[in-house]
Amino acid sequence: MNTSRFDAVFATLVLGAVILWFAPAGMGRYGTYVLSLWLVTAVAVMGLNLTLGIAGLKSLAQAAFMGIGAYATALLTTKAGIGWFPAFAISGVLCFAAGLLLGFPALRVKAHYLAFVTLAFSTLVWLVLRNEQWLTGGVFGISNIPRPVVFGVKTDNALPFHRFVVVVTLVLALILWWLVRSPWGRAFLALRENPVRAASLGVNIRAYTLLAFAIGSAYAGFAGALYAPLVEFIDPSPFQLSASFFLLLMVVAGGSGYQLGPFVGALLGVVLPEWLRFTGGIYLIIFAAIVIGLLIACPQGVLGLLERGWTAVRRRPLGSNPPAKETA
Amino acid sequence: MQQSILVLGIAAAAVLAPPAAAQEKIKLVNVVELSGAGATAGTNWKNGIDLAVADINARGGVLGRQIEIVHYDTQTNPGNTRAAVQRAIDEGTYAVLGPVFSGPIGASMQIAQRAEIAQIVGGEAAGLTRQGNQYLFRTSLSQSAAMPKIAAYLKNTVKASSVTVVWVNNDFGKGGRDAILPELQKAGIRVAADISTEQGQADFAADAIKVKNANADAVFVYLNEEESARFLRAAKQQGVDKPMVGETTLLGSKVIELAGDAANGVRGHVGLSIDAPVPAFQEFGRKFQARFNYASDHNGLKGYMAVAMIKWATEKQRKFDKKGLADTLRGATITPAEEPGIMITTKIEANGDLDRESYLAEVEGGRQIIKATLPMINP
Repeated sequence: MNTSRFDAVFATLVLGAVILWFAPAGMGRYGTYVLSLWLVTAVAVMGLNLTLGIAGLKSLAQAAFMGIGAYATALLTTKAGIGWFPAFAISGVLCFAAGLLLGFPALRVKAHYLAFVTLAFSTLVWLVLRNEQWLTGGVFGISNIPRPVVFGVKTDNALPFHRFVVVVTLVLALILWWLVRSPWGRAFLALRENPVRAASLGVNIRAYTLLAFAIGSAYAGFAGALYAPLVEFIDPSPFQLSASFFLLLMVVAGGSGYQLGPFVGALLGVVLPEWLRFTGGIYLIIFAAIVIGLLIACPQGVLGLLERGWTAVRRRPLGSNPPAKETA
Repeated sequence: MQQSILVLGIAAAAVLAPPAAAQEKIKLVNVVELSGAGATAGTNWKNGIDLAVADINARGGVLGRQIEIVHYDTQTNPGNTRAAVQRAIDEGTYAVLGPVFSGPIGASMQIAQRAEIAQIVGGEAAGLTRQGNQYLFRTSLSQSAAMPKIAAYLKNTVKASSVTVVWVNNDFGKGGRDAILPELQKAGIRVAADISTEQGQADFAADAIKVKNANADAVFVYLNEEESARFLRAAKQQGVDKPMVGETTLLGSKVIELAGDAANGVRGHVGLSIDAPVPAFQEFGRKFQARFNYASDHNGLKGYMAVAMIKWATEKQRKFDKKGLADTLRGATITPAEEPGIMITTKIEANGDLDRESYLAEVEGGRQIIKATLPMINP
């Protein structure tokens, strides 16, 4: 496949961004906020989708990386008085570096051993966020986090900030779209499918594994850098281990390895519980039941199910976005 | 002819003017912890509100309008709390009730402030009212008001010269710990051990042994409801025999119920209690027990009073003005004579803090017994 060709995923991303730019009209600030939260979560899930879905590494530290990004942005914008854009870049670089540092020893082990190492890292980050009160504000968190000013336009209100989040999310999604189609992305897929064959073709397994992990972590950092000004307050609780599990669930429920999977997964994880509020006190029970039912019905996630259905209708595989059985 | 015009006129007026009962309801949204770590406190708060709304509606509502109450769960998560408070404001709530945990309050208070809508919360962390938010109101004493009373109690009544402090490492516990330590120092009481515990912790045996080894004259316990009960049981098992002193939560009905025998002998300061020597509190306790089939803790009382504060201020300003509600509440003193739902004279400071009488109590035979009433700080 020509790597520069625009495909269905590209078209969906751009069209989705255009729709989301205008979507909040008449939705009120609550609806706009939920849409923004959905996109911010989707950015973190995109990163985990790269590490898990594309490179096949089971990480339980995504929320911890998101925490590092959120705290870095919050501290830089509130205490150091640095603008949001440099803070955003620093958050990403910091998480990239942390990903490399963690990945270097951690990626000597695989599968559930890697999960254990990342689990320990996740707990460690949470303890630092909570106990180092001089820096992070401890359990009291950091409040009054400013929202960015973009080309002189303040994004303090819900709608401008939402549009800003749409643009940033689109840019990040397009970078990942390009990455997966680049030779690097091919190498990541080869790693997941058959590391031995990939090595025999000259792919440096260690370097590429590390790179996938670090890029995935950097995306969590970017998500954190958006989360902090979105909520305008952070404390350690949204970056606990349970949140990492929840992000992992979103990757799997959306469709692990599918480029649009993170958006579907985050839709299930963020928007569905909010929408289910009309059912009253049992909304979380209904939400859990839907997720369990979904994973039993389609272990490949929502997009896996759609693809199976599409294949059944067309009687031929979907070319644009295969789960990469034949890529290596 | 004239008569028939008159009759027609009356008929037209009757058709055009809606009867009082069918008037538009006044909508209140309660945003509170109904799942997650804050569910015990949040459920009590919610039930207190439901009881208040039922009482007020049965007596004809506020300025003739019935209250419609909606509860939104926050999952004890700041991001979700923010969404829920935003939703409440978008849906045109007259005021925001809740949440109870201080972290979620911190995440959502700017939204109500920006919308110029009163937010009446159950949080006790000292920092909440120090941010200059004119729209935030408490329903209980803050930690900075309660802790000096505890220090005085430890010095004068318990006669302790050293104290072990056991606290839960969340915003509530850490805030309380940070507020009590300077007060103990001022009172000349030595801190023998400073023990941090986790929210949701199940096993307190190790902490109880630390407390025993510290061998202080008294133990100050500042944990959430369920953790308090587990700690008291562990301390009893480890044979800790020094006085256990607490602030409101430790002497709450939920803790007494869960800790059983281990709660006997616990004493301390209580901000609000259904066992206080105030007939209105006891009457509330009976109504709550009858409706929900368990005893309310201080959060139930706080929820009830939050609605009463709204009713009082609305009737005072004689209109349903959202900003006016906050303006009326700020700096007001509400007496039970004016608004029976407030139950006890309550002074609202300019920053949203409260001042009111409070109590010293002990747990005897599985019941909280009030021993003394402490006056208001600035009556």
